[in-house]
Amino acid sequence: MSSEPSPVDELREYLGFAAAGDSAVDRKLKDIKRRKTIRRLWVGLGVVAFVAVLRWSLTTVDFSLAELYAQLPEFAEALTEYFPPTTYFGVLPFVDVMQYWEFMLEAELFAASQVTVAIAIAGTALGLPGALFFGVMASERVVPYPFNFLFRLTMSVIRAIPALVWVLILIPLGGVGPFTATLAVMIDTTGYLGRLFTDELEEIADGPIEGIRSTGANKSQIVSFGMLSQVFRQFIAWLAFDLEHNVRVAISLGLIGAGGLGLELNVQRRTFNYTEMMACIILVILLAGSVELLSQRLRSYLRDGDEVERTGIIEAFVTAPKKIVQSSMGKR
Amino acid sequence: MSTLTIENLTKEYGDVTALEDVSFEIDDEFVVLLGESGAGKSTLLRCVNGLTEPTSGDIYLDGEAISGSQPEVGMIFQQHNLVEGISAYLNALTGSLADTSTAESLFQRQDRETKTRALDALETVGLLDEAHQRVSEMSGGQQQRVGIARGLVQNPSLVLADEPVASLDPSSAESVMGYLKKAATVHEVTALVSLHQVNIAAHFGDRFLGLREGRLMFDVGPDELTPALVDDLYGSVETVALAATDTDQTGEEKQRLEVEV
Repeated sequence: MSSEPSPVDELREYLGFAAAGDSAVDRKLKDIKRRKTIRRLWVGLGVVAFVAVLRWSLTTVDFSLAELYAQLPEFAEALTEYFPPTTYFGVLPFVDVMQYWEFMLEAELFAASQVTVAIAIAGTALGLPGALFFGVMASERVVPYPFNFLFRLTMSVIRAIPALVWVLILIPLGGVGPFTATLAVMIDTTGYLGRLFTDELEEIADGPIEGIRSTGANKSQIVSFGMLSQVFRQFIAWLAFDLEHNVRVAISLGLIGAGGLGLELNVQRRTFNYTEMMACIILVILLAGSVELLSQRLRSYLRDGDEVERTGIIEAFVTAPKKIVQSSMGKR
Repeated sequence: MSTLTIENLTKEYGDVTALEDVSFEIDDEFVVLLGESGAGKSTLLRCVNGLTEPTSGDIYLDGEAISGSQPEVGMIFQQHNLVEGISAYLNALTGSLADTSTAESLFQRQDRETKTRALDALETVGLLDEAHQRVSEMSGGQQQRVGIARGLVQNPSLVLADEPVASLDPSSAESVMGYLKKAATVHEVTALVSLHQVNIAAHFGDRFLGLREGRLMFDVGPDELTPALVDDLYGSVETVALAATDTDQTGEEKQRLEVEV
């Protein structure tokens, strides 16, 4: 080795492109350094690409901090309508809760909530037979390989179309209203719940199937006793989860006119009645949160041996709006 | 009461021969099948039960050729293979599936006689009081006894058991074997049981079949089951015990333990 390495040599050494060392260890060390250099190059390239895509996205959506700043006073004004201030006992400043309450009674929001829940319950119940059928038939253990894909594919197509779009498709059939929303939830349930059933069936053990088979049972008995009996409780748990999901879907379906709480919310938004709109949102959160709490508790009770899942009451209500958006977009 | 006749039974899995030209006949006995893991014990039992299709050879039960699973042949598995989420009673009741239509069995519309039979079987294995309990909440020994009960509900003439006590502790193993023997005696069924524990086998068996590398090595009565014969079956494993000892492990298991240590 030379006595005084130049900076260029040092850099080459650091990056792993120096001349090969003598021993196997030296060569391996150089190899590792070179791998690291290459990995860093890729990461750098990734960062550059991401920045470019982000820039493009922001330009496409006309993202503008100046616009945000200019609109701030208007939003502040809207906020005072969202949360109308008042003073209690003459001194204590707080949101005027009574305004919400009066509107809830006046616009019969509780009746609207019932419509939303009814859409979810009816849609789930009507979709269940389809979900069971497709879910079981899509399992490779029930229907042999190429044919089960027919059922899988059907469910994939159903899921590819969000419930919001199903309503639009079905409007010629049932008009714009809760009836069409129920049909949309029904179809959505077949696709989603069926898929969850199929996944659950993939997990079952072979032992009980063989046990039932050894008794001389026929094919449908093997499926019901050997397979479905293993996942019965899980199916009920998924059903509860899907009902919860469907309540959120039903709310979002209301936004495009299919009735219930979502419809009322949209009407108030269009007429810029921000206080009334917030009253609707509060009810939405209460509704979605309560259904989620009930469903979570039922599921943790059903899941044998699982640690009891305890979603906090506050957590359930705080995360409700986010979950409604996810549900309406067809994500879980 | 029945006669099981095996004639020239051969089973090949690809290049591997699991059973080679095995023939024997058993008649109203409690027969124990001995041999190392991989000797073909499970394959033999699964062929008789119809869970595995033999490559060649014939199986006769009371002179009639049998193929496929049927209620005449009850099967008890090492891992009991019960439906864990439902009660012991409902599991025992699955033994009657072949007698009932799918709809009847789904809605538990079996006749009273069948339901009594399920409870009788559970009583035979000493689990009548626990009949309502979910299987997943039971101990390993209890679960295996439910497995025996399910086999009995089939009203079989032949009961097969594939290492029924291999995953149990010594005392549960002995009690399960006791119940199995009792069930076979009370219900007058022929039994073919594969076992790892030579001392348990010697205690319960009327007759012993030794399998090695898929071939039948010996077919002897209790008096002829000598230590030399057993040594020969398992190769030169020193810890295989025929006499009553404080261990229920077979030499093979011992060996495995030693290797792990």
